[in-house]
Amino acid sequence: MQLAVNIVVLASIYALISCGYVLIYRVSRVLSLAHGELMLLGAYGLYSTASLFSGSPALAVAMSALLAAVIGLLVYALLMRRMTGESVLAAVLVTIALGILVRGLTVLVWSTQERHPLNVLGWANPSLPLGGAARISGVGLAFVLITASVYGALYFFLRYTHWGIRMRAAGQNPLLAAQRGINLHGVYALAWALATFTGGIAGMLIACDNALDQTMVAIGLKAFPAALVGGLDSLLGALVGSLIVSSAEVLLIYYIDPLLSEVVPFAVLIAMLIVRPWGLFGSREELDRV
Amino acid sequence: MNKIIMMALALLAQSAAAQDAYVVGVTGAMTGPQAGILAPVVEMAGAYVNHINGRGGVNGKPVRLIVADDQGEPSRAAANAKKLISQDSVVLLLNSSVSSTYAPVVAETKRAGVPLYFAGAVCPKETYPPADALQFCSTAFGATLDSQAALNFIGKSSKEPVRLGLAGMAIPVSRAEIDYAEGLAKKLGMTPVDKEITPPPTPDYTAFATKLKDANPNWMWAWSPWFAQVRTYEAMRRLGWQGRYLTWAHLNAEEELARIKDPDFYVIGTNAFFEDNLPIQAEIRAVAHRGNVKYPTTYLTEGYIVGVVLETALKNAGWPPTPAKVAAAMSKLKVDLKGLRGGPLEWTKDNHFRTRQYYRVWHWDAQKNAVARVQDWQAIDVARQ
Repeated sequence: MQLAVNIVVLASIYALISCGYVLIYRVSRVLSLAHGELMLLGAYGLYSTASLFSGSPALAVAMSALLAAVIGLLVYALLMRRMTGESVLAAVLVTIALGILVRGLTVLVWSTQERHPLNVLGWANPSLPLGGAARISGVGLAFVLITASVYGALYFFLRYTHWGIRMRAAGQNPLLAAQRGINLHGVYALAWALATFTGGIAGMLIACDNALDQTMVAIGLKAFPAALVGGLDSLLGALVGSLIVSSAEVLLIYYIDPLLSEVVPFAVLIAMLIVRPWGLFGSREELDRV
Repeated sequence: MNKIIMMALALLAQSAAAQDAYVVGVTGAMTGPQAGILAPVVEMAGAYVNHINGRGGVNGKPVRLIVADDQGEPSRAAANAKKLISQDSVVLLLNSSVSSTYAPVVAETKRAGVPLYFAGAVCPKETYPPADALQFCSTAFGATLDSQAALNFIGKSSKEPVRLGLAGMAIPVSRAEIDYAEGLAKKLGMTPVDKEITPPPTPDYTAFATKLKDANPNWMWAWSPWFAQVRTYEAMRRLGWQGRYLTWAHLNAEEELARIKDPDFYVIGTNAFFEDNLPIQAEIRAVAHRGNVKYPTTYLTEGYIVGVVLETALKNAGWPPTPAKVAAAMSKLKVDLKGLRGGPLEWTKDNHFRTRQYYRVWHWDAQKNAVARVQDWQAIDVARQ
C-alpha cells in the first residue's frame, strides 16, 4: 500500500512538471530547457510573497501563483516572441541561455542559502494516515490533488474554451491557424504563461515538501523522460509517462537497488525510443519536425 | 593604436600591483547545487582577507583573493585552476568545491608546484598522514574519522542492541564513507539493517525512506550533503519511523536543529556552535558584518578558520612569497582556534589534516527550547592510513 502511495505521489510530481514541457512544445514546437529554472523562480516567488504577506499565507500563495504566470508571459513577450520565424534549435538555445540567466539572478537576489517557504508561511507538513500502515505527507497529498485539478482544468480548457481550441489549432497547423485569424502570439504567450504557472506550482510544492535551493533545477530535468515516454505533444501521454517512470523508479528502489532510480527513467526512455520513438500518445509526424 | 598602448600599460600596471601582494586563488562552488554549504566558506574567507588588509596586510603587504566560480563542475574547476596558476600567478590555490573537482585541480597544482588548500568540502585522503607534500585541508569533516566518532556515540548512547540504518548520497566520498561505516558497525557489534544511497538530488525521498523504515532500524547514521541527510530523515519521520537519527553537522546544522525541533535528531561535528558565545565568535560576527557577508553568522566558522590559516601561513612564508615557501610554511603550521574547535589546527610535514580531531554532538532540547550539547569534545588521534 505504501509503495502505491509513493508511486502516485512521485507520478504527480513528474506529471505536474512535465505538463509545462508539453504545453510549450505542443503549441510552439519549442523544447523549453529553462523549465527547471522557471520552477525555481516560482518557488522563490513563494518564498518572497510569504515573507511579504506574513500572516496571510493564502494571499501569499495566490500572489506567487499569479506571479509565476506573469513571468511566463514576460518570458514570451520579451524573449521568445523575437524567436518567431527562427529555427527551433535557435529558440531552444535561447531557453538554455534563459536558464543560466535565471540561475544567476536567483543567486544574486536570494543567495545560495537553503530556504524553507513552508516555515515562512507558518504551515506544517503533517504525516496523514491512509489506512493500514500507509501514510502520505500533507504536501504529497496537495501534489496529488493539485496535479489532478491542473490536468482536469487543462482538459476542459483545451477542449471546450475558445482559447483552448485556438491553442490546439495553432499547435496542429500554425499557418492555417494564422490565416483563420488566430492571434498566434497571444496563443504562444498563453502557453508560456500556463507552462510557467504549472511549473511554478510544482516548484513551490517541492520547496514546501523538501526545501528551496539550487538542486531544484536538476529535479526539473528529471521529469523530462516522463514527458518523452508519453509523447512530447500529449498531456495524456505526460500523465501516463509519469506513472510508468515513477512506478519503475519506486519499485526498483524498493526491490532491487536504490541507485537504479537515477538511470531508470532514462532506461525506460531508451526502451520507448526503440519501440515507439514518438512516445505512447505522441503524434508520429512529430519525429520529422524534431 | 594609442588606445591599445594605454590598455597594455594599464594591464602591466595591474600585473605589477598584483606582484606587490600575496595572491591567493580560489576555485569554489559559488553557484550550483552544492553552493549553499560551500559559498559561505569563500565569502567569509574573503571578508577575513578584507579584515587583514584593513589592519595593514600580512608582513606589510596586502592579500589579494581571486575567486573563480566552478559551479561544482570538474571541467570548470580545472579551467579555473589553470587560469589562476598561469595568468594570476597565485602562490596558493584554495578549493572550496565538491569532491569531484579535486582530481583535475590536484593535477594542475602538481604540475605547477603550487600548494593546494581544501576548505569547505571533505578532506581528501592525501592530506592524512602520510600527506602529499602539496595538499592541505582544514575542513571540519574527515572521512572514516567521522564514522568512527558517530558510531562511538551511538554505541555509548544505546542501552538496547543497535540496529543501524545507513544513508548516503550517490557521490564517491559519501558512498565510500557509508560502506566504511557498515563494516565498522559490524566490528562494534551493531547490526546494519539497511543502507540507502540516494541520487543527487531527487524530488521525493519517500521511496528511499520507505525501504529504510521497513528495515526497522533504531538508529540511523547519514553522511552526505545536508539536503540528502535531512530530507531522508524528514521522509522517514513522515512515514512514522520513531528511532534516533545522527547526521553530520554541516554549516547550517545549528539553524536546522532549531527549525526541526526533534530531540531524537542529532548532529555530530567538530566546529563549536554559536550557542557557546565565545569571544572569537563575537569577532566572527564583527568581521562578517564589516564584510557584508549575506549568510547567517552560524554558517561562518569554517570560512573564518580559512582566513586565520591563510594569514598564519602567509605570515610565516615571509616576503616575497613563492609557492614553495608557502608550502613549507603550511607544513609546520599551528593555529590556535580559541575554542572554535576542541584543539589547535596543527599541520606537520607528514600530516596536512590535523593531528587530533575533536567531536561534539548536539540535538534539540524540547524542555529548554534550545539547541543543546549532548556530548562534549571527544578526541580521535589521526593515525597513518
